[in-house]
Amino acid sequence: MPLPLRLADLRFGVGIDVVSAGRVSRLISEHPGALEEMFTPTEVAYAATRRMRSRHLAARFAAKEAVLKAFGTGLGARMRWHDVEILNEPLGRPVVHLSGEVEALATRRGVTAVEVSLSHGEDLAFAHALVVSDARASGFPGPSIARRRGGRRCAST
Amino acid sequence: MTDEQIWAAVHSAVKEALGVEDDEVTPEATLMDDLGAESIDLLDILFRLERKVGVKIKAADLSAHIQGDIPEGDFGDDDGVVTDAALAQLKRVMPQIDTERLAGTLQAQNVIKLFSVQNLADLVQTRAAAPPAR
Repeated sequence: MPLPLRLADLRFGVGIDVVSAGRVSRLISEHPGALEEMFTPTEVAYAATRRMRSRHLAARFAAKEAVLKAFGTGLGARMRWHDVEILNEPLGRPVVHLSGEVEALATRRGVTAVEVSLSHGEDLAFAHALVVSDARASGFPGPSIARRRGGRRCAST
Repeated sequence: MTDEQIWAAVHSAVKEALGVEDDEVTPEATLMDDLGAESIDLLDILFRLERKVGVKIKAADLSAHIQGDIPEGDFGDDDGVVTDAALAQLKRVMPQIDTERLAGTLQAQNVIKLFSVQNLADLVQTRAAAPPAR
């Protein structure tokens, strides 16, 4: 029976990103292959059903960036943009699906949850991501909730 | 391709993607800090380079080039600070960096900010000279 998870065992990573929808639109129109490289077929299909396709693609790109920032790696070696896929629940809530090298990293780090929130205005798309890890699962301490100067960690609960 | 041809291609790709002036795109200029590139701009630069020189470099290839053979878990310590081994690797691909000044302080997530236009040209040169994958 697993030991109860303590708040002190949790590690949190946050990431935020903002992307211009116009920038994404120009990139896709100027570079054949960009759409396929940056977005999964499901993401492309979802954006195609929306009135302002480029805004939704921009929000998804911002979400991928935000998630990778929350991992603290950015787009690392052997990672692909498809490894972070933004899907939608029936009522519209975005959910993150990891695969490939990013999923492998999440497993190594004992990640238990990845959450995103998206928004977009006239041209700018925003995304905020939260990655929650169980430090016991991986032995990866990462940034803790509270840290005293000098590198020693405080118990947070 | 000659070094001059590659430099010209990198120079124009960076200038076009970022909308900066000719004289801002110097070999020493860092793509992110000096020239203001963001991740989507790096993508744009790489796509332009593929058209100009026929060398396909993905964003992850950039990270792999910088990271070298250092495993992800060994690149930074518990506080995310680049390890000595990783710093030695960074010096190989970014010879302009001051490893003494950066030792013990450089955060792994900030490494990409040190990548200069010349570093990119060197990467393109390496990839252009490599035999095609079978």
